[in-house]
Amino acid sequence: MRSTSNTIWAVFGLALILLLPAFAGGQWVKIFTSTTTFAMAAAGAGFLYTRLGMVSLVQVGLMGVGGWVTLRLNHAFNFPFEINLMVAGAVTMFLGNLIALPALRMRGLYLALITLMFAAGLDIVFTAKQFPNGADGFWGVGTTFAAEMRRPIFAQSDAAYLRYTMLWLVIGFVLIELHRRMAPGRAWALIRKSEAAALASGVNVTLYKTWAFGLSGLLAGLGGGLLAGSLGLLDAATFRASESVMLFALVIVGGARFWYGAVISAVLFRVVPGLLNNWGVDADLSLVIFGAALLHAVMSAPDGLAGQINGAVRALFSGRKSPENKGAKA
Amino acid sequence: MISMENLTVRFGGVVALDHIGADFTANVSGLIGPNGAGKTTTMNVISGFLDAHNGHVIVDGADLVKLPPHKRVHWGLRRSFQKEQIANDLTVRENLMAITDHLHGSRADKRADLERAADFAGVTDILGKMGRDLNTFERRLTDVARCVIGHPKMIMFDEPAGGLTPEETERLGDLILGIHDLTGAKVLVIDHDVELIERICAETLVLDFGKRVAFGPTSDVLRDPAVQAAYLGIEVEEEHA
Ligand SMILES: Nc1ncnc2c1ncn2[C@@H]1O[C@H](COP(=O)(O)OP(=O)(O)O)[C@@H](O)[C@H]1O
Ligand SMILES: [Mg+2]
Repeated sequence: MRSTSNTIWAVFGLALILLLPAFAGGQWVKIFTSTTTFAMAAAGAGFLYTRLGMVSLVQVGLMGVGGWVTLRLNHAFNFPFEINLMVAGAVTMFLGNLIALPALRMRGLYLALITLMFAAGLDIVFTAKQFPNGADGFWGVGTTFAAEMRRPIFAQSDAAYLRYTMLWLVIGFVLIELHRRMAPGRAWALIRKSEAAALASGVNVTLYKTWAFGLSGLLAGLGGGLLAGSLGLLDAATFRASESVMLFALVIVGGARFWYGAVISAVLFRVVPGLLNNWGVDADLSLVIFGAALLHAVMSAPDGLAGQINGAVRALFSGRKSPENKGAKA
Repeated sequence: MISMENLTVRFGGVVALDHIGADFTANVSGLIGPNGAGKTTTMNVISGFLDAHNGHVIVDGADLVKLPPHKRVHWGLRRSFQKEQIANDLTVRENLMAITDHLHGSRADKRADLERAADFAGVTDILGKMGRDLNTFERRLTDVARCVIGHPKMIMFDEPAGGLTPEETERLGDLILGIHDLTGAKVLVIDHDVELIERICAETLVLDFGKRVAFGPTSDVLRDPAVQAAYLGIEVEEEHA
């Protein structure tokens, strides 16, 4: 049963990667690309939340760091895009490790507040310094500059680049799934149960919490780097602390137990405001809609929209309604 | 041998353990006392979840107090909890693997070890079951398997018979009695169930208000008037309540 629905999802995902870039017109390719990059960050926050029960409100801020590093390296050196992206991922992974330090002592609301403070700090730096655009100096910001952003050789066009980004998202999901199936996943499940349970099984809680935040940071940084590659220029407004909070809320709405929950979250985050705009509706209305969706998720759909979809798919294939999504995993 | 020397723990003004010392030589030893006597606290100090203000726990010549908690597990300490701590979103097999993950040894050795532990505890048939789907007894059996996996040297059970039927308690007692032959580990059992302690523990330490009331062969200890006053007296009161 689970393998049937997994196969269906895999085919669906593959079809999407092949078809979406080919058929999406103009601006939509860019919107889907940025949606994909935000899905990476959402996947990181979602796995931290469902696997360890920890709230990270700094994911979009870390995307900003990933984007900053990618731009900075692009303009300063002649490395290929992949190298810049990897360095960006490494930097945000390290930042994730740093943010984990308070996580070792705090939990719940206090930990969430600490990550929010990190996000606010990044917000201030981004607003004050802006993002490198090819000018001289460490911050690399000039008023009239717009230096070229190199992309991978095989992903020069916007459509090809969207495919490339989607491939990274798949790699991100695979990375999370591999972790879940191996020693770190088991250690995390015990930490989520209780620290005492983890310690009593010989889990080095410090190491594995740090590792989890590192992985989450890595995904955010890669997402940010990929966004930089798509747009060529980044704006501080994209990485406000409030955006991190919004993304986390949508991770809950989308459903963090399932990998496609991250995709739903990112679609809500990126596509819905664009759609409303297209229809001539004030995009701020999306805030109201998301607020209502969050209330719904918190009160009656703990596994989010993805959980409800998963339940419907399972009901469809087993011929009976399954109220709970037992055994299904992200 | 398990030696506790001078163990002292304070919570603010409360002295939860007051210079407790005992040398356990039996393969299965007991630790009893009324509610709040300091039994779980003793176990938490040995696990490293609490820092003792004073004292040592020396097992086979190793001073456990010097190791961080997870290293004590790598060394060979195992424990169960009063409220069991099986991870809900892992299968029984994964709950067991979570311990061998952090130990040395080849994959094949770990698998054989896991199968041996599961077979001993009688959980082979439920290895694929999720933690959240286990009933009370299955949880307890999984706990036993967790405790005997990975070549343990010392195993502690905190009220393992809590919530079990008399038949289940009997079966659990048999299992605990078999642990030493299987693994060579020394076992320390905390329980309220005096009958269980009497049946499986050769030596017993009795605590009351963090003080050592008696220590020695279980039958002697249970006949001690001080023990009957401290422990059994309260048990009777509870039954009337
Ligand atoms: N973490 C803690 N903080 C403060 N007091 C505690 C803590 N843990 C236990 N105590 C106190 O220490 C005493 C012994 O508790 P405990 O070891 O749990 O008793 P028991 O013998 O029933 O297992 C009790 O008075 C209890 O209230
Ligand atoms: Mg207790």
